[in-house]
Amino acid sequence: MDYAGLFAAYGDKYLLAVFETLSMTAVCFAIAMVLSVLITVMRVSPIKPLRLVGDLYVQVFRNIPGVALLIIVAYALPYLKVTLPWKTCVEVAVVLLASAFGSENFMTGINAIGVGQIEAARSIGLTFTQTMTKIVIPQALRSAVLPMTNLLIATMLTTALGSQVPLNPQELTGLVSYITTRETAIGILPFTVSAVVYAGFSVLMGLAGNAIDKRVRVIR
Amino acid sequence: MPTQTPVIEMRHVDKHYGPLHVLQDINLSVDKGEVVVLIGPSGSGKSTLCRTINRLETIDSGEILIEGEPLPQEGKQLAQMRAEIGMVFQSFNLFAHKTILDNVTLGPREVLKTPKDVAEREAMELLARVGVEAQAHKVPAQLSGGQQQRVAIARSLAMHPKAMLFDEPTSALDPEMINEVLEVMVELAREGMTMVVVTHEMNFARRVSNRVVFMADGQIVEEGTPDEFFDHPKSLRAKDFLDSIRGH
Amino acid sequence: MSAHTVSMRDALYEEPGPKTRRRTRIVTAVSLVLVAVGVGFVVRQFYITGQLDAKYWSFFLRPSTWLYIAGGFLGTLRVAAVAGAIALVLGILLMLARTSGVKPLAAIARVITDFFRGVPSLLLIYFFYLALPQYGLRISAFWMITLPVALAASGVLAEVFRAGVNAVPRGQTEAALSIGLTPGKTMIKIVLPQALRIVVPSLISQLVVVVKDTTVAYVVSYPDLMQNARVLITNNDALVQVYFVVAILYVLVNFAINQLSIYMARRSGNPIISRATENPT
Repeated sequence: MDYAGLFAAYGDKYLLAVFETLSMTAVCFAIAMVLSVLITVMRVSPIKPLRLVGDLYVQVFRNIPGVALLIIVAYALPYLKVTLPWKTCVEVAVVLLASAFGSENFMTGINAIGVGQIEAARSIGLTFTQTMTKIVIPQALRSAVLPMTNLLIATMLTTALGSQVPLNPQELTGLVSYITTRETAIGILPFTVSAVVYAGFSVLMGLAGNAIDKRVRVIR
Repeated sequence: MPTQTPVIEMRHVDKHYGPLHVLQDINLSVDKGEVVVLIGPSGSGKSTLCRTINRLETIDSGEILIEGEPLPQEGKQLAQMRAEIGMVFQSFNLFAHKTILDNVTLGPREVLKTPKDVAEREAMELLARVGVEAQAHKVPAQLSGGQQQRVAIARSLAMHPKAMLFDEPTSALDPEMINEVLEVMVELAREGMTMVVVTHEMNFARRVSNRVVFMADGQIVEEGTPDEFFDHPKSLRAKDFLDSIRGH
Repeated sequence: MSAHTVSMRDALYEEPGPKTRRRTRIVTAVSLVLVAVGVGFVVRQFYITGQLDAKYWSFFLRPSTWLYIAGGFLGTLRVAAVAGAIALVLGILLMLARTSGVKPLAAIARVITDFFRGVPSLLLIYFFYLALPQYGLRISAFWMITLPVALAASGVLAEVFRAGVNAVPRGQTEAALSIGLTPGKTMIKIVLPQALRIVVPSLISQLVVVVKDTTVAYVVSYPDLMQNARVLITNNDALVQVYFVVAILYVLVNFAINQLSIYMARRSGNPIISRATENPT
């Protein structure tokens, strides 16, 4: 089979798969961003138990292998009377992983600001809230652009976990496994198509991230 | 003649860092228009003292009064008081993500609620006064250390402070930039600003200050007019210190 | 300068006054209750579904269980070590090609690097597991998992090495060239050894990614920790418990590796270069 044949037979499935991968990426990344902010707020709060929970969350989810996490969500949770649809399982796993790294990115951004600027803000009479909204958060957000771009790319690659559970429609990696198992003489064709789509979107996201970063970067 | 309330008054102030007794029974008062220079060897507690005045450092016991009122401990009142006392740091601490102009207008706009155009006009005047108006639309990292420190002074002045604290304002500067900052400070002193200055610049201390306070090991060892102190130090510690800085 | 250094996380809040202290105490108490309720809920869910029953946990008291887990862990280590070694060599080669100054070579190296960084490792595994055999290429399960993991890591490592080379002061290259070394010799003898030292903490932290990637070994039925866990589950009918224990093991191992890399970074003063810290693409 050649590319023409592949697209004739599986073109619509590929389109769906691209959409599936991208939409999962967008949904997971958006939720992960919100969660990262919450986790980061917990981690920098003066409330010890919240700090502890936030730190633990990050350590667990940045160190657990994605596959292990997905398997726990998809196959172990039902034993505890928590049964989620397959796609939700994948999304939950991706969000948990991505939010841990997202929080780390924010923490790095906050650490880069330095105590001095906070003291300067205080000494011109800014309140805690003003110091946070005018000095800390804007700088943390700006310096998070590059790491978050990388996280977006990583999130997209992590949605390949979807190949480990029965999804319908399938995402890009699961589709390769599906086609290659059915067509015994198709070789590397389906693999190449998915790989090029992934790599292409990675590069695009990277370019966009770099462009944004160039505009908002805080020069130190 | 009734004595005027001092702008800053410290009574029996003590502070520890763990086992270190960094401020020991500090009593100090600064009158309106006075320029007080704190000098002493490093680790003597002079920076800590300066930073307790607007509560960047807390104290363990004693009292700090600003125009006769006790220093608030938190919240809006503390922010309000800080707005009235300028502070200039060793490492400038300009807001890295804001332009020079925005660095100066941030306080007036957020704290004093000054309208944008008024705040900007005032800021430009201040920047002109310290000689960096041409840099108004750059970001801090594009300026030299001396320029950044002058902006930091303008940022404090924009709040119309009752007094200003300088925490080693020239220690992080290259030698050729020290004078440009000191000149701004001399000018301020001439205009009658109440100032507490932690510094190693002895010429500045001698020329500008009304009073020199010498600290060592967390204590005020002696204080006096610059002439008294530099020409006839009373304590052995002060003599040693002066010898050591004159020695080279 | 104040006598003590504060972490940023503490610097955000100033020394509390009496009112703030009281408020913090109250919120701390409330949050403690919330956390306790959360933990209680999870434990209760385990309890009412019978997952805390002794029959599900007792086989963890048998040494044979742990021997089996250890065997799986050894498999994981073997894959991670070999894949890491291959990635190291490939990464250096890709970096050398990219910084060679030979335009076509640099371009090819860049495409390869970007490709391996921009493709999920699972996809690479399916390539070796499903696509290659269709060409009659038969490799063992070990290589079917090790090669894709190595390739995926090599792209990132190439970038880490490049950052390391860039971190070597330019003066070193200039000095080497000025005493008559060729550009190639300068790279191999002067720049690369220093770059390698700079990236040690980063390489250690990348090992976490390699270890994580090895967990897909069950796809090709290679007996790593994850695959052995599946066998344990079939033998003992204790899915929740085995995955729970195995997940903790992975987290602990990766946590240890991360801590080591942070320790090395602190000791050497060389920052950890990770995917997150470099420019994307």
